[in-house]
Amino acid sequence: MKITTTIDNLDNYKIYLQIEKAVNEFLENNNYLKIDLPVLSPALIPESYLEVFETEFKFFNKKKKLYLTPSPELFLKRLLAAGIGNCYYLGKAFRNNEPNSSWHSPEFTMLEFYKIGVNYLQMAEEVLHLLNHINNKVKNKIIKFEKWEKYSVAEAFSKFAGIKEKELFNEKLFIKKARNKGFNINNASYEDLFSQILATEIEPKLGINGRPTLLYNYPKQLASLARMSKDGKTAERCEFYINGLEIGGFCTELNDIKEQQKRFVDQLLIRKKNHLVNHAIDKGFIKALKYGLPFCTGAGIGFERLVMIFADTTSIDQLKLINIS
Amino acid sequence: MRVNAGNLKKGEFVTFKGAICQVQKADFYSPGKGSALMKARLKNLISAKNVEYAYKSNEQVEVLDVASVEMQYLYKDNENLYFMDERTYNQFTLPISVAGEVSKFFKEGEKMFVYMYNDKPLSIRPPSSVKLKIIEAEDAAKGDTVSGAKKPVKVETGAIIMVPIFVKIGETVSINPETGEYTGRV
Repeated sequence: MKITTTIDNLDNYKIYLQIEKAVNEFLENNNYLKIDLPVLSPALIPESYLEVFETEFKFFNKKKKLYLTPSPELFLKRLLAAGIGNCYYLGKAFRNNEPNSSWHSPEFTMLEFYKIGVNYLQMAEEVLHLLNHINNKVKNKIIKFEKWEKYSVAEAFSKFAGIKEKELFNEKLFIKKARNKGFNINNASYEDLFSQILATEIEPKLGINGRPTLLYNYPKQLASLARMSKDGKTAERCEFYINGLEIGGFCTELNDIKEQQKRFVDQLLIRKKNHLVNHAIDKGFIKALKYGLPFCTGAGIGFERLVMIFADTTSIDQLKLINIS
Repeated sequence: MRVNAGNLKKGEFVTFKGAICQVQKADFYSPGKGSALMKARLKNLISAKNVEYAYKSNEQVEVLDVASVEMQYLYKDNENLYFMDERTYNQFTLPISVAGEVSKFFKEGEKMFVYMYNDKPLSIRPPSSVKLKIIEAEDAAKGDTVSGAKKPVKVETGAIIMVPIFVKIGETVSINPETGEYTGRV
């Protein structure tokens, strides 16, 4: 890895700063409290596919493992359970085993915010207002942010990949369909093939008609920590896309402690199976959830990707003055 | 050689749905839920068409053992390009449709690298720059001094390129064969 310095990106970097300012302005005006958080933590919450950076605190011969946080979720949810109310974090997050690419960097800036008393579709309106607010400060000539182009996941799979709803929600039929399309189904889970088809056949078609696209109601296998919908088949989760690129997502937060514990165990098993770092589990987080997470929706946005849209760049490194890759 | 798809690199060759393809672009992509992916753009060497495909990053992919062999470019006809390996005097044929637009800038007798697999040519490794003489060009109109103005000229291989208006017939220019752009006077 090497360090690259360039001031040729100064114009883009200034757009980065303008958008940072606009985001802070919007969230503060809408009564979110900005929270500064640690990035080093002695324990994390288990996330099935995210690899973490581990390091060590040393004092003479005493040593203690520490991890760089892959997301601020563990801290913000503790605070939500403690009654902080609407809040947000705009700062660094770290993900290992994810090499640099046009839209990926192991160290990146994450915007995560939580709103009390709203579900995922109400949050979709809030996110649209945020995008509009940014657009008022830094004009994007091509995209209008007044309205979402909306597809349920089932509609998108049917329209762009020719997979019917019945096939999407039936694992066997879905895997068969993926095999017929030429995907390698050996050792591939439903979630893997779902992502492969989404990335190959659907995502390039999203957010390309001059509006951002909202994809909502994910199959329950991809629920993560989202609340289940009343239909029993999908989770209250959304992702949004601009120019074929996923910019962020949000979900109505699961606040059923039994279900949360079950999903943690599932995630831990997947981590073990994939030989990911065996980090300590944040028990205080589970205790906080037991105390009770309020009804709320959390949103996460890859901040660099968001800036790329407004700065009209094709890769993250064009936004930075110092790049490490 | 089998590699994790996460390690695929631009320029490598793989078999995809029974056809040999060259990786044009490979970008790591993590959807957060489910395994990380390697989004690849693969160019089918027979149809010359690009397809997009998302591999699981830990999926095993066979990277073909392709050699890059220096050969002399002999000539072309309507369909094919003809090359000779100067060490063995063996001749090889490659369809123009596979070589692509770069072949417009190949000069007979020049050396270039041909990708070989199982003793058959797959494609060309385009040189980063070619030097060609201008054989047809109009003189710049007097008084036309707009900076950055360009005009079309014909080079010795018959290809038409855009050059700055001060470039004259008979001069040799360097060209990026992949983009067809003028890069300077020689």
